[in-house]
Amino acid sequence: MKKLESSNPQALSWCVTLAHQATGNYARLEDRLAGIEARLSGLELEQKVESKLSSCAGKILNSPSVASISGTKSCKGEEIGKHTMENRAIKAISVLDLSFEKQYMTDKQVVKPVYYKSSVKDPGVRGVLKMNKDRFVFTPSDPTSSVRLNVEFRTITGHRFTKQETKQGSKPPQCLLNLNQDQGGYLFQFDSFPDRDICKDFVARVLEMRDAGKAVSNKSATPVHDEQLSAAEMERRIKLLQENSELQKLHKQFVIGGILSEAEFWATRKKLLEQNSSRKSKQRVALKNDMWSTKPLSDGQSNRVTFNLTPEIILQIFAEKPAVRQAYLKFVPNKMSEKEFWTKYSRAEYLHSTKNVVAAAAEAAEDEELAVFLKRDDMLVNEARRKIKQVDPTLDMEADEGDDYTHLPDHGLSRGDEKEVLEPQYEPFKRSFSQYLNQHAAIVLQGRVVDVESGDTRSVAEALARTKQAELAKDVSDVDMDHARLERVSRMAEIEDLQAPSEPPVAPLSIKDPRDYFDSQQANALNTAAESDFCSTQLNFSIRPSLAYSWLNESITEIKTGGLADPLISSDVALKVFDSLNQSMSCTKFNVGRNPSDSVLDSLPKDTKEELLHHWTSIQELLKHFWSSYPITAKSLFSKATKMKDAMSQIYPKLQELKRTVQSDLRHQVSLLVQPMLQALEAAFAHYDADIQKRSSRNAGRPNGY
Amino acid sequence: MKFQIEDVTVYFPYDNIYPEQYSYMVELKRALDAKGHCLLEMPTGTGKTIALLSLITSYSLSKKTNPIKLIYCTRTVHEMEKTLGELKLLHNYQLQHLGPEAKMLALGLSSRKNLCVNPTVVSAENRDSVDAACRKLTASWVRELAAANPNVPTCSFFENYEKSASEALLPPGVYSLQDLRSFGKAKGWCPYFLARHMVQFANVVVYSYQYLLDPKVAGIISKEMQRESVVVFDEAHNIDNVCIEALSVSVRKQTLEGATRNIERMDREIKRCVGVGRLEATDANRLQSEYKRLVDGLAVRGNLPASDAWLANPVLPDDILKEAVPGNVRRAKHFVSLLKRLVQYIRVRLDTENVEKVEPVSFVQSLDQQAAINSKMLKFCYDRLHSLLLTLEISDTDEFLHIQTICDFATLVGTYARGFSIIIEPYDERMPHIPDPVLQLCCHDASLAIKPVFERFQSVVITSGTLSPIDLYPRLLNFNPVVSRSFTMSLTRECICPMVLTRGSDQLPVSTKYDLRSDPGVEKNYGKLLLEMVSVVPDGIVCFFVSYSYMDGIVNSWHETGLLKEIMQHKLVFIETQDVVETTLALDNYRKACDCGRGAVFFSVARGKVAEGIDFDRHYGRLVIMFGVPFQYTLSRTLLARLEYLRDTFQIKEGDFLTFDALRQAAQCVGRVIRSKADYGMMIFADKRYTRHDKRSKLPRWILLQLRDAHLNLSTDMAVHIAKEFLRKMAQPYDKTGALGKKTLLSEADLEKMGDGILKDVLF
Repeated sequence: MKKLESSNPQALSWCVTLAHQATGNYARLEDRLAGIEARLSGLELEQKVESKLSSCAGKILNSPSVASISGTKSCKGEEIGKHTMENRAIKAISVLDLSFEKQYMTDKQVVKPVYYKSSVKDPGVRGVLKMNKDRFVFTPSDPTSSVRLNVEFRTITGHRFTKQETKQGSKPPQCLLNLNQDQGGYLFQFDSFPDRDICKDFVARVLEMRDAGKAVSNKSATPVHDEQLSAAEMERRIKLLQENSELQKLHKQFVIGGILSEAEFWATRKKLLEQNSSRKSKQRVALKNDMWSTKPLSDGQSNRVTFNLTPEIILQIFAEKPAVRQAYLKFVPNKMSEKEFWTKYSRAEYLHSTKNVVAAAAEAAEDEELAVFLKRDDMLVNEARRKIKQVDPTLDMEADEGDDYTHLPDHGLSRGDEKEVLEPQYEPFKRSFSQYLNQHAAIVLQGRVVDVESGDTRSVAEALARTKQAELAKDVSDVDMDHARLERVSRMAEIEDLQAPSEPPVAPLSIKDPRDYFDSQQANALNTAAESDFCSTQLNFSIRPSLAYSWLNESITEIKTGGLADPLISSDVALKVFDSLNQSMSCTKFNVGRNPSDSVLDSLPKDTKEELLHHWTSIQELLKHFWSSYPITAKSLFSKATKMKDAMSQIYPKLQELKRTVQSDLRHQVSLLVQPMLQALEAAFAHYDADIQKRSSRNAGRPNGY
Repeated sequence: MKFQIEDVTVYFPYDNIYPEQYSYMVELKRALDAKGHCLLEMPTGTGKTIALLSLITSYSLSKKTNPIKLIYCTRTVHEMEKTLGELKLLHNYQLQHLGPEAKMLALGLSSRKNLCVNPTVVSAENRDSVDAACRKLTASWVRELAAANPNVPTCSFFENYEKSASEALLPPGVYSLQDLRSFGKAKGWCPYFLARHMVQFANVVVYSYQYLLDPKVAGIISKEMQRESVVVFDEAHNIDNVCIEALSVSVRKQTLEGATRNIERMDREIKRCVGVGRLEATDANRLQSEYKRLVDGLAVRGNLPASDAWLANPVLPDDILKEAVPGNVRRAKHFVSLLKRLVQYIRVRLDTENVEKVEPVSFVQSLDQQAAINSKMLKFCYDRLHSLLLTLEISDTDEFLHIQTICDFATLVGTYARGFSIIIEPYDERMPHIPDPVLQLCCHDASLAIKPVFERFQSVVITSGTLSPIDLYPRLLNFNPVVSRSFTMSLTRECICPMVLTRGSDQLPVSTKYDLRSDPGVEKNYGKLLLEMVSVVPDGIVCFFVSYSYMDGIVNSWHETGLLKEIMQHKLVFIETQDVVETTLALDNYRKACDCGRGAVFFSVARGKVAEGIDFDRHYGRLVIMFGVPFQYTLSRTLLARLEYLRDTFQIKEGDFLTFDALRQAAQCVGRVIRSKADYGMMIFADKRYTRHDKRSKLPRWILLQLRDAHLNLSTDMAVHIAKEFLRKMAQPYDKTGALGKKTLLSEADLEKMGDGILKDVLF
């Protein structure tokens, strides 16, 4: 247990968080333990860890101290022991949790024989590579060799490795693993791919864990603890925290500080989370605009011709050639094996590459499966016929063909460019490179329609077939299509620069880090604020109720008759309101200084400024939670309010301290800034006290609380 | 905006107008006032179409007592749609400002293939089969049968249309093909026949060139157009080619085989009619009555129901013989035997070892001697065939295209002695080992087909972005324009950047000249040029090649050397193919790729379908590269024959004409990048031959004005540098209305302020 603690500072910090929370959450703790046990049974844990776990879990469960806390309140005077026990149990569990996340690899190490190489060509130094979770060590087998490595993973920025591909005819690839640093890196060659893969996976996990740790370093916000969160949800929260420094600070202070629970913290920020999730989290990788060169590799000596197929290429083939896809689904694996299928396909490709139509036709006549690949793709032809109907009429050259009476067969002059005349029986076997080019570009443009990670060819083929089917099914109705087409034509017809400029297109504003944004905006806002005298516009508030009522009536009838206007408010008005709000905001915040163009905050020393802002946001957060717990209807709410009050009362003296310690020339300004915060806090305290008094008096009225 | 040009109030649907649009309208109005023809060249990207439409409709509105009709001819259906789109915009504007008195009827007209709404008919593959499928449901004899026997299928849309008779009218408005279809569907009327009927009453008709120029089509569609019409040929730089194509026919082996099959079928039908005749009088009577009619001298029955009308006589209306059909072809079986002899004769002529070029006169003579067919019989071939097919009640006309071709050929040969020649080639020059005999009747005289148009209508406007040299067209088409003007473009900023690239980065010359064409060095340099450009230019790039075969070759070689792969790292690649459907889809995808910011390159062919009418404006084309000079295939016999004719008749030198033709194609290709003055684009002419003055000077003036001397002899790296500079400059905001003094955008107030005199200062 000790070792675990020392070896994992990360886990330790989590434990601390946990310990804070745990004080109120023993029941849940038990539940989690049970959950862990269940998970445990499904996993092969190393004996050592298992025994540790069982012993400590046993201790927790059986310990009278835990029982005493969770159950009756009888005190046996084992205060100290109890606490250490609790803490240990919690630590153990959290460490275990962590190890589940990372497949308990934290205290594992990998040892493999390798060659250490300076470059790919270099024969390398034979030796042993040891890896554990924070460093790797290379010891050469030749003790005289000076090549020794002892590197921390901290410095490693990434890793790369060679692919294991079995190509026929080429020499087997080396099994290399490259650990990159900012400058240079370390290249190891392994004896076999399995060895390499073990190390590769190990490195990957270590790096991943480290990155995760780094990203949310001070957060430990994290997994679990009191609610079962999906990994996606968790990720979203972590991402939000990363993006928003302010949020992160608050989170650190309150959640990790134990004042708020994770759930409470996020409950007020549901909207943020939703927004975030609606944004596409994962960027899809487009297809590469890379044609599979049908140029076969031949070694020049033998008659053998080699084609290389990778899952990526297969996906491309399936997308570009629906007939091949269909044939695959039909033939494999009932009629032929996968390998036979692709051999056949390659053969067809080879025949095409020779551009010998007659030979292709002859081959196809003999072998009907081969003919599928050699013939023209009827599915493509049908698709083209379907798509041509949706084409923009201003470039529909097919319609033109239908209107052309000059080119009746044999009318008009023969053009310089003659089509190659082929006998009809060979016609289906003709295929041009241009056709292939167009089809390829169309598919790339369409993007990755299916998202199949696995290399399973069949599932790829099926997924593609499904999407095609779906596409056919949802074919837009004629009317919609016509409408869209017409709209497009009329849009194309306009000459834009003869027209008066139209409204600029509006993009929605998305602010990731509000402080960043508003800080940079302040200066601008202030400039304009300084120029226009924003305080002069006094609105007339002295309206008699009867007048107001009649206005209201008026607007109601207006809406009744005319319906709601779209947009609801005219944009001019909205803009005006927005501007004036903006100005008055910056006015209240910054007008305190003599010169409005430089912000008061900027004149403060940086530390003070940071501190002030931080206090401000934390008070905001606490107040929000504080007030939201009123009216108190449950005990939990009461305890929450108390907690909030306690936290606030901690900040209160800090603020006063700040006011006092600040330099004398700034004191006035600071106190102006601090004053509203203090007032808000005082109001909260007053409310709290009043409430307590009311409750106690009520309780007093009803003896024993009833 | 609204302004006066002399006595006409012009309604223009935008807030501002380019000065060149204004002066274009002024010139156009003068031509209309003079009731004469005119020739106007105005750069692309200056809103030619809207200026034209706006002036002519406004002119028509101001002459209430005798409103003129506008017949607007486009080369392609998609241009028709675009024009109607602009007209809609204009019409809405006029309605807003003038109220109901501005109401007009405007419609586009196309073939059944594009207008039919009957699902069973329109599903047919091509135009001919749609026409035939329609005829099978709507021919008068089919409908007669259906009246007796309800099991005979008819077209409900056509029946409804016929039933409502004179009530079947289009309410005023602007109808694109799509609108016509929707209207037809909603009313249950056949849009095709409705549109054909409404063409007579419409204020504006938009259709393809052929509906006026090709006598076969014009004969049935444009017969009843009033004289008080303005005919506009937009994008008319190729009009001479359309004219000669309309009167040319070629006959191949396959045609003859098909024709033989057709003759056999007619033979059978005739025998059946005669045979049945013993039992049932009607069928034999049909033949009998036809004979009587022919004796009376009516080659074609007057007043055919619209649904029976077939393609009309290939010969121009004035040249059609209006006399009795000669006695020896009146009887159906005699006519069939004549056809047999004719086909046999042509077959013999085709079976030759050498290339032959004969004049029609000598061809007819030898035909008379060897097959006993004289020129008078030839002249009647087409009408006689038409009459026979109607009599035999044949509805699957798509099967009879071959014999129709033969008869077209016969009638043309019989009618015209001058301006044509017959060329027989046993094989294609480029593939001498493949026998592919072809007999071509080539028309060389472009003025023949357009002559009736000039004579029939009061004003004909020929306009395009590239009509240079502008004095050549009146000679080619043989007419006297009252106004002939070439406008330049007043630029707010230098938004076009033409360059002539003569060398690759390795300083070796690039060209598509015959000896350099397949040089791997040239191919590589062209590829490198494109590669450099795709990494510099945003959005869309269009490349034009001189021919399909050259494009296929060079793209394949780029693929093999890996250049294409590198190009694809930067942009998607689309390519024009000879398959129209595929090309259309490729274009659609190209636009999508440009819209979404992915960027793309489009490979296309000068003189191809894409070069003919697709705009690559704005982000759809920031750069056009013209690889090589798009000369016609100079060894082609038909071209040589035409050159000879031009030299003899108009004293135009062969070289001059070829250069003129190549340069107008090149200018047309590069002109597609710019659509308005806010748009910008670069044009690279990548061939060393463009530096020569005789080539370059044939480019339109508005391009030449922007072509700086420093840009006349560039290598790839210099071009890249210029491109970077240019794009950076164009990315800056600018003042749309133009710098001081030189206004490039006029508002209503500006127009009011100045008279014509000031306008001239502004412009030139």
